[in-house]
Amino acid sequence: SVTSLDSIPMHGRDLTVHPDDLMEPPEQVNDSKQEILENKDVVVQHVNIQGLGRTKEDLLGYEISDVFHSKNLIDVMRKAHIARQRLLRLGIFKQVEVLIDTSEGTDALPNGLDVTFEVTEVKRLTGSYNTMVGNNEGSMVLGLKLPNTFGRAEKLTFQFSYGTKETSYGLSFFKPQPGNFERNLTLNLYKVTGQFPWSSLKETDKGMSAELNFPLGVTNHTLKWEGVWRELGCLARSASFAVREESGHSLKSALSHTVSIDSRNSAIFPSRGALLQINQELAGYTGGDASFLKEDFELQVNRRLFWDSVLSASLWGGMLYPIGGQSSSIADRFYLGGPTSVRGFGMYSIGPQSEGDYLGGEAYWAGGLHLYTPLPFRPGRGGFGDLFRTHFFLNAGNLCNLNYGDGPQAHLQKLAECIRWSYGAGIVLRLGNIARLELNYCVPMGVQSGDRCTGTRAGHYNSKLL
Amino acid sequence: MSLAAEAFVSQIAAAEPWPENATLYQPLKEDQILLSDCASSLAVQAYLRMCGLPVQVVCRANAEYMSPSGKIPFIHVGNQVVSELGPIVQFTKAKGHSLSDGLDDVQRAEMKAYMELVNNMLLTAELFIQWCDDATAAEISRPRYSSPYSWPLNNILAYQKQWEVRRKMNAIGWGGKTLEQVYEDVSQCCQALSQRLGTQPYFFSKQPTELDALVFGHLFTIITTRLTSGELAERIKGFSNLLSFCRRIEQTYFEDKSSST
Repeated sequence: SVTSLDSIPMHGRDLTVHPDDLMEPPEQVNDSKQEILENKDVVVQHVNIQGLGRTKEDLLGYEISDVFHSKNLIDVMRKAHIARQRLLRLGIFKQVEVLIDTSEGTDALPNGLDVTFEVTEVKRLTGSYNTMVGNNEGSMVLGLKLPNTFGRAEKLTFQFSYGTKETSYGLSFFKPQPGNFERNLTLNLYKVTGQFPWSSLKETDKGMSAELNFPLGVTNHTLKWEGVWRELGCLARSASFAVREESGHSLKSALSHTVSIDSRNSAIFPSRGALLQINQELAGYTGGDASFLKEDFELQVNRRLFWDSVLSASLWGGMLYPIGGQSSSIADRFYLGGPTSVRGFGMYSIGPQSEGDYLGGEAYWAGGLHLYTPLPFRPGRGGFGDLFRTHFFLNAGNLCNLNYGDGPQAHLQKLAECIRWSYGAGIVLRLGNIARLELNYCVPMGVQSGDRCTGTRAGHYNSKLL
Repeated sequence: MSLAAEAFVSQIAAAEPWPENATLYQPLKEDQILLSDCASSLAVQAYLRMCGLPVQVVCRANAEYMSPSGKIPFIHVGNQVVSELGPIVQFTKAKGHSLSDGLDDVQRAEMKAYMELVNNMLLTAELFIQWCDDATAAEISRPRYSSPYSWPLNNILAYQKQWEVRRKMNAIGWGGKTLEQVYEDVSQCCQALSQRLGTQPYFFSKQPTELDALVFGHLFTIITTRLTSGELAERIKGFSNLLSFCRRIEQTYFEDKSSST
């Protein structure tokens, strides 16, 4: 079906000189018609969208309305390109093509243009099937997606994971605000089971959440309410008594707020820009058994140096403050250690522990300094070799419980003593835009009794897939 | 753990003496614990007192989930965690404490048979009355069981437990019984126990055994617990020798601490 949107009233021929006119004209083409249209003042009379099926028209008006404001051909092309990007980001079109042509019809102006977006909607239902293997477990993951469910870019997703050890499923509904795609609401319903061998703990979460995302200036905010029924249990008969004491059921009803500013040019291998993310969670004031205030932050700064190398510094930390006198639950505490935080130490194997089971802590900080350089002698440059980088790093961190009766001086002191740190070098491989594979040689230092290091103290190779 | 590993661990445990800080875990006494769990816990406490082994009673809201078998009570001794009377008797035996050493094989078989009777009759009757009788379930069992949790988790857990017990009752053939029939079964069980006890102080003449501890735990709890109907307690009070048996054990083993049960 063809939808046409009438143009806004024109203001008459614009005879002033535009800065665009002073631009270098694009390369000469022999087509004489094209020469005439170059840099000529134009008026966009109609903007059409062809190929709509279930999508509602009012949603798209916002994305393409800017094209009407174009004053000359280059402006039209630029704004049409931007509108095309906006239409694609809605996630409801497989393909969007732009056609710019002179106006035709009875009300056509001599310098009038018609812009047509030819779109192909995505299918109503898509399914996916994956198998995953990892962590001594195999699982089948079945996904069902209904994009553009009711015609306004909503999305309904269902995921079901059936594994040798656990079964999980989740249902999610996403609704953006028409005209403001970055403001959106997500509703989730899920059951997730997890096994945590470093704590000899298994956890089953059944819950629901409602999340509101919106941008404010350069920042992006998320407000979320989550209600979770958590069941904790021992993973093995040999679990420590401290973990056995945490077994049982609890209900967490929490409000959380996250603010983030991200100016990096990539999430996996950023070469410039910074990320600041601050998250807080308050549980217990909307019902439930768990009652606490949790704060955590992440800061990352990247800078390109000489010879195509990148220096990356990151710092993160957090604090959990139980409210109302009850002690914190093992499911809410922070964990530290492993290839994502302090390399050289076992996964989440730093800090308070009992009989070899790591119990987590109520306060932590971690930091890393990384230098990424191209491979020495740059083999395979311009092709495969560009996916690899050499990597020098320094990681440090600490995890402990605080006595909330003492003042902030005492807290800082406690976090500053017994710092674990490590240094090393390795090779990193980028896998698409979602993951990285590392192979490192690592020397852990500042190891406290109770921590678990991977390999020998003198250094070892480890690999990780992020 | 595999059977071999368990056997190995209990051998190691046998080598260690009974520590001072042995603890027994049960649900919260005031608001949460139900009749059947209270009876089982009291039986284990009586048994340990008869053996002369000190144990501290700690109440936890999640005791049922802490237990390795899901049943109350369980004891934490040294590094070991053992639940239910049967395994606890085995555990103390491995440490060299036993009440039934003086019995010959015939008597031991008889003792096991009576313990089975108590478990199959008295314990099952307690569970039936708690969860299959709608009045008791609604007024006492569900509110007490769910008291440590907040809404809606409290309702979910209480109903889940009720369905689980009812399913088990159906599986063993008690699903169709009425309350009257259950009271009759209890009376018959008590009749058998009363006859076996006779005029002796304990079931096997002068010395108490684990059977005495088990019977005491159940009968004393039933007599002293207020249910929606006092019928069950009345039936037991009809057997005077059982009553004096309970009183005797209470005076001998529990009187030193006033807040013992």
